[in-house]
Amino acid sequence: MVNKPQKTELSSVISLRHSESTKIFEKKSDLEVWNAFDKGDEMAFNYIYRCFTPIMFSFGIQITKDVDLIKDCMQNLFIDLRRKRGSLSDVISIKSYLLKILQRELFRAIKKESSHSIQNTELPENAFLIEVSHETKVIQLESETEINTQLKKALNQLTARQRQALVLLYEEGMSYKEIAEVLEFKEVKSARKLVYRAIESLKQLLKN
Amino acid sequence: MKFKDYDIEHFLTDEFFIQWVKNPNENNQHFWEKWISEHPEKRRVVQQAASIIRSIQSDQNTGISDALYVDMFENIIKAEEKKEPVKFKPDESNPWISIFSIRKIAAAVVLGFCIWISYDVMIKGVKIQTEIPQTLIVSRSNPAGKKSIISLSEGTKIHLNGESKIAYPEVFEKGLRTVELEGEAYFEVAKDGRPFIVSVGDNAINVLGTSFNVRQNGAGGLAVALVEGKVKVNDRLGNQVLLNPNEMLVIEETGKFYKSDFDLMEIIGWKDMYLIFNSDSFEEAKSKIENWYGVEIEVKGKISETWVYSGQYKEESLENVLRGISLTSGLKYSIKGRKVIITKP
Repeated sequence: MVNKPQKTELSSVISLRHSESTKIFEKKSDLEVWNAFDKGDEMAFNYIYRCFTPIMFSFGIQITKDVDLIKDCMQNLFIDLRRKRGSLSDVISIKSYLLKILQRELFRAIKKESSHSIQNTELPENAFLIEVSHETKVIQLESETEINTQLKKALNQLTARQRQALVLLYEEGMSYKEIAEVLEFKEVKSARKLVYRAIESLKQLLKN
Repeated sequence: MKFKDYDIEHFLTDEFFIQWVKNPNENNQHFWEKWISEHPEKRRVVQQAASIIRSIQSDQNTGISDALYVDMFENIIKAEEKKEPVKFKPDESNPWISIFSIRKIAAAVVLGFCIWISYDVMIKGVKIQTEIPQTLIVSRSNPAGKKSIISLSEGTKIHLNGESKIAYPEVFEKGLRTVELEGEAYFEVAKDGRPFIVSVGDNAINVLGTSFNVRQNGAGGLAVALVEGKVKVNDRLGNQVLLNPNEMLVIEETGKFYKSDFDLMEIIGWKDMYLIFNSDSFEEAKSKIENWYGVEIEVKGKISETWVYSGQYKEESLENVLRGISLTSGLKYSIKGRKVIITKP
């Protein structure tokens, strides 16, 4: 967690609460945490907030650069979930569930802003751009930077949706099942296909 | 496929492998370490795959700021209290309450401002309204048997076929031109630097300045035929296909797709009023005529499965087309208003 204790009283209260909640829920399954939250357990909410808001934010910022919009969407989403406590349905992977509803919320907000009924659930073309980090010590070649540059170039020629899947798979370490949930595919198979095709295109692009 | 037959792309898409690279735990670590020592010849490819997986990260590394994290948490909790004022014990010394009432005052100020602005806009405001135009969506549709040509404000020309519908904003927004199509249309897109996107069902056709034909087939099928320029087609699964002139992309209802060449006249002749039959089966010819003239065809008798017909008609009447077909294939026809009866003697 990057949140350092701040001078204000409020933030120290929050971080104290949050570190307590981590101890309680660390070992529990997502379903147990979610059920506790559903029953009104504030510690469970603190734990969810602490664990997932950083991921949600970095997911959102890859769709839109508008920080205030992301903030509003995340805020409304949590307010809404809290209001529905007591009647929430089961959630197996909290992370993919939250990313899914955040993406929906963002699309809705973006659509509203552009007052335009045609563009709806498409990712913007520059969403989920990928950076290839240089900490890879495995390929100890002189041409390492060259390879990384080529890889980066190829990755960013993929479609936004393919890049999104790769970021979720490789950066977030999500399973295909979770990716399918975030991308709202009915079948896990579709998420696999999306990734297979992305890797296939990548191979073609790197060959040329 | 066994792990020993894996190439780099298989490792890159294998969940169990990725989990080991990203979140090594006792189980996967134990397995992969043992496996690599069993297959030393795979060490290099495993390392390469792992290195790619580790090196991929999002371009955006702006994390959530402490200020945002704390502020959002506060807003979420407070939203709850607004809903449940009963739990609220009035206590002067509680700093949260004073913040709350400051918010109330702020809200009242904002509301007042809004009323003032909207009063201002309504009374004096015609000028302001014209400055912020509401994007109106224009929708045009043709019944079977009717064709039309639509010219858009930026110079693009759209030939809309029968039983088709197109929707577009009256004025395109900055940076993007998007139209929505159902059915069939031929586009002559004017170049103006902005991409032009045709969205058809779950697919999007992305172009700069080109001429191409789009036809929806059944529920999920689609055929895009490119005459000139370059076209990019994206389907909802994230596939992307680039088309060159004289190439046609066919997406079947099952999602399967392939490229083929096409007969220019057959595919786009309709926009110049050419009705083309190209070794068509009876069913194909029947639906072409129904669609072209907006009629319903009833068949009496059994028509051979090997029946084919080729022919070209320009701006011909229904009567002439039917006569032409019956001459070469020995069918009889009669026209009763919107209904045609074809008999196999």
